[in-house]
Amino acid sequence: MLSCALVAAGLYGVMTRRDLVAVLASIEVMLGGATLLLVAYGAAGSTPAAVASAQGYALLVLAVGAAEAAVGIALLVSLIRRGRTRSEDITEVRG
Amino acid sequence: MSHSVTLLWWGLAGLTVAGALAVLLVREMMRLMLGLGVFLVGIAGMYAWYGFGLLGVAEVFVYVGGVLVLFLLAITAMGRDSESRAIVRRLDVGAATVSLGLGAVLVLALRGLLPGTSPVAGATVEKTADALLGGLLSHFEIAGVVLLVGLVAALAIVGGGEDR
Repeated sequence: MLSCALVAAGLYGVMTRRDLVAVLASIEVMLGGATLLLVAYGAAGSTPAAVASAQGYALLVLAVGAAEAAVGIALLVSLIRRGRTRSEDITEVRG
Repeated sequence: MSHSVTLLWWGLAGLTVAGALAVLLVREMMRLMLGLGVFLVGIAGMYAWYGFGLLGVAEVFVYVGGVLVLFLLAITAMGRDSESRAIVRRLDVGAATVSLGLGAVLVLALRGLLPGTSPVAGATVEKTADALLGGLLSHFEIAGVVLLVGLVAALAIVGGGEDR
């Protein structure tokens, strides 16, 4: 229930916040909720191997979330150079 | 499960929710980052509560020690609180409806599937390493590729800006 609420709250933040930093922080809230659900399922596992697998999966999600944050911050740095940090300005960024 | 252990879970849940609410509602960027930090520490505590100590430590190291510091660096580089000066909008009814709908769908979909959880023992570092280098090896490799692609993408985005 808590993880579902966190995912929904993060989605609300993604849709309503205008600043890219706030949007990225809201995505982190969604990711945290999803990982918490994975952990809760893992804790319900019957064997130690299943529990360890859940922890392994959650670690992979953590790593991918860190990569997402790195790309988001790179976008933010690119926008800062143009003097814009609003989420709708992201269409101006080209690699 | 003892009363104090349950109380600890509720305390961590309250910390997590308070941090998430700060991320959603606070307009001033440094306070928003403080809220995100509280949220991440609360989530790490919940991982540890469930018996996933390694995951909790990794969360603190990677997110609180890495990602949050990067966010703070980006805010410092911005040099201003862009959203604090924006017009504070009223509650977005459409977004609230969609979010509540998603939350309701998730709760309905997961209801009955999740048994009552309690702290577990067995998520040791050795067993996790065995899982990552055993049955989850392909997932581990794919995550490595995703990280590499993310690194190259970040460099391309920032480098592309330098060329112009």
